[in-house]
Amino acid sequence: MPQSFWPARLTEKGLLVQLARRLVLAHFWVAFVAFAIAILLGEWQMYVRSPLHAWVNNPELYYRSVTAHGTVMGYVMPTLVAMGFGYAICELALGRPLVGLRWAWAGFWIVLTGTVMASVPVALGRASVLYTFYPPMLGSPFYYLGIVLVVVGSWIWVALMSINLRLWKKDNPGRPVPLAMFGNVAGAYLWAWTSVGAALEILLLILPAAFGFKDTINAGLARVFFSWTLHAIVYFWLMPAYIAFYTIIPRAIGGRLYSDTMGRIAFALFLVFSMPIGIHHLFADPQVGSGFKFVHAVFTVMVSVPTLLTVFTIVASVEIAARLRGGKGLFGWVKALPWSNPAMLAVTFAFIMLGFGGAGGLINMSYQLNETIHNTQWVTGHFHLIFGGAIVIMYFVLAYDLWPQLLRCEPLSARLMRTQLWLWFIGMMVLTLPWHFVGLLGMPRRMAYFDYSHPALQPQAWGVTMSAVGGLILVISALLFVYILAKAHRGAVVEPEAYRFSTAVHESSHVPAALNSFGLWLALMIGLTVVNYGFPIVQLALTPAASVPVIPMGAKR
Amino acid sequence: MKPERLYSWRNAWFRWSVGGVFVMAIFGIAVGFAWLPSVQKDYMAEGLWASICRAAGVPTAWGPPPASRRSVTVSTRVVADPSLLKKAGAQEVGRGATLALQCTMCHGARGLSQADAPNLAGQYPEVIYKQLLDYKHGQRHSPVMQALAGVLSERDIRDLAAYYAFLPRPTVSLVRSDGVRVPALIRVGSPMRNIAPCASCHGGIDQKPGSPWLEGMPPAYLQAQLQAFAGGGRRNDMHAQMRNVARQMTPEEITEVARYYASGPEDAAGSAARP
Repeated sequence: MPQSFWPARLTEKGLLVQLARRLVLAHFWVAFVAFAIAILLGEWQMYVRSPLHAWVNNPELYYRSVTAHGTVMGYVMPTLVAMGFGYAICELALGRPLVGLRWAWAGFWIVLTGTVMASVPVALGRASVLYTFYPPMLGSPFYYLGIVLVVVGSWIWVALMSINLRLWKKDNPGRPVPLAMFGNVAGAYLWAWTSVGAALEILLLILPAAFGFKDTINAGLARVFFSWTLHAIVYFWLMPAYIAFYTIIPRAIGGRLYSDTMGRIAFALFLVFSMPIGIHHLFADPQVGSGFKFVHAVFTVMVSVPTLLTVFTIVASVEIAARLRGGKGLFGWVKALPWSNPAMLAVTFAFIMLGFGGAGGLINMSYQLNETIHNTQWVTGHFHLIFGGAIVIMYFVLAYDLWPQLLRCEPLSARLMRTQLWLWFIGMMVLTLPWHFVGLLGMPRRMAYFDYSHPALQPQAWGVTMSAVGGLILVISALLFVYILAKAHRGAVVEPEAYRFSTAVHESSHVPAALNSFGLWLALMIGLTVVNYGFPIVQLALTPAASVPVIPMGAKR
Repeated sequence: MKPERLYSWRNAWFRWSVGGVFVMAIFGIAVGFAWLPSVQKDYMAEGLWASICRAAGVPTAWGPPPASRRSVTVSTRVVADPSLLKKAGAQEVGRGATLALQCTMCHGARGLSQADAPNLAGQYPEVIYKQLLDYKHGQRHSPVMQALAGVLSERDIRDLAAYYAFLPRPTVSLVRSDGVRVPALIRVGSPMRNIAPCASCHGGIDQKPGSPWLEGMPPAYLQAQLQAFAGGGRRNDMHAQMRNVARQMTPEEITEVARYYASGPEDAAGSAARP
């Protein structure tokens, strides 16, 4: 009988080897501790700029906090989760020990060093430039060097993922790459190319100015470089969540994946379309021509396609699980779902938040509709709903799912997990829906305080208060999450069941070459980047008038 | 089994993905660069090629500049450069001290004024430099100061700036323990009137190059300057920064802010008159 290719291969005894277990745990713990600290800052921001608190005396403190919150939540936490999850997938899906374990540890320590190096100047108020940098504002060079180290550490992970896949392929010619590993490596390649934009911005433009070699900076070019990273980074954050959708959820709820091919297509499409669309963040920027803005809008529409494919496939997989459990009827099967299963709850919540957030996103990416909400609180609400909501809730799920493997502990308490996920969902809705609403009323983002006594702003007051309450619920949920994970460390050591990823309904021993390798998609990704970014970058680089004097942050006290 | 050839037009995956992306790019470019501009009259005024260049973001002048923009009133002709931020040597300070003898009548022997002239001790060098040059160029008006600054050379001005920056100034703290309430305008500004907090440029929260420190300045001087900014009598502030702020302030606020700053740093606060 031919061996089935699809269930993930396992290491001896179906477990991660001891050292890699510690590696993955280290990544997750640093990520989640940083996350817990940063969420406190976020809630503090929500509180002090709400009507519940008097105006913050020193607005600089607010921007300091925003910078720290954004840097941790945008760079440190998701990068470490993607890296840790990636190493785990590499061993669990390929069924062999990770090659380059020492390099992986080196990458981890580099990321950690970078995090500390960036945090210190932020805490001292020397880099309140927000995590998006915004030249001509300029912070301490150590802040930027810290970010560079975080990125360099993650590049080690990219290289290791690529090498491990290559070695596996050499030993397994013609066999399909397990879907989890396919998505994982797609995410790694996506990140490698995505991070190039911000890296160019920091190395070529920001650092020379931050070190004082120059007193002007090409702000327009810097923003175009950053937009290269700024949108695609979202899909890098999203990859672990999508891998969890495809390869954890169907198994966790006792069903099967509806289509393995669809998963591969979605990951490939993310590679192609997530990159050449970042200029939709610059719709209001005068330095980019309207033609390029439109082209980027067109490709931004396309990036919704892999998400729609995923929603369809996962809903179909969920329906399979329900029918396997005896669900009947056109919609009656919904009742048969294992609603007490935390994974079932999480995927439902994730899709609801993805639905609201995605609909808002389609408004953001429309060149004209965007005018109404550009740079308002709507945008902040949008990315918290998509990233903090739909994506991070899946980070919780993948951590919960892997924890018994990593710690050799009993399965975690389903009741606590359900409570935590409910709190996160409710908190995120209460946080972000009023946030969208006040954005529609025209409330700008990135403000330390608002004069709610003014008749024009008064209608926004209750919305901001609601958001602050939602933020508090999120803080409780986040602390509960950390508690659940920490508590598992104290339990007895048990040998958990062998880990496996979801099985597809139709297992096939063959996938098309295009969906078993990355060359074609990487070529399209780079080609489209050149078409969509080449001219604006060259033209701005050759425009000396685009250089403006730098504004040092916290220069003199 | 023969390995499948991926990079070939015969491979459907290759054909559809490369072809599809190509068609999408051409479609986007055609609509964004040709069709959409074609419905805008001013976009197309100079022909198709010019409109394509505009859509690509090539900087172009949209017709001749309006007459109003051709004659611009310059608020200052001082150009700040990093050399201003360099620490001065003992020689410059010494020369400055000698030159400063002619300033002592109004600005005080150690740069702390007994008359209603501003204090200069410990003032940022770029501030003194800019103000003296503005007097010299006629951008800031004062019969006394214009006459005195007119004869100073660029180097004299740099030396004077170095000397006054060298003199010690009392320490500044925005948070005061003596119960004096910091006026809201200084702490948090007034967002709805587009007034940034005074302390975000003049020290306390942040200090922006070119903004003087103000604590302990004579109240009459501060009030007169704010009134001059508001009334347009003084217009040597870059980008009308101070004029835009002062115009939005009520006379009561001008008095309040001037009094607060005049009451000086904490240690001097006890002696200063307070409402």
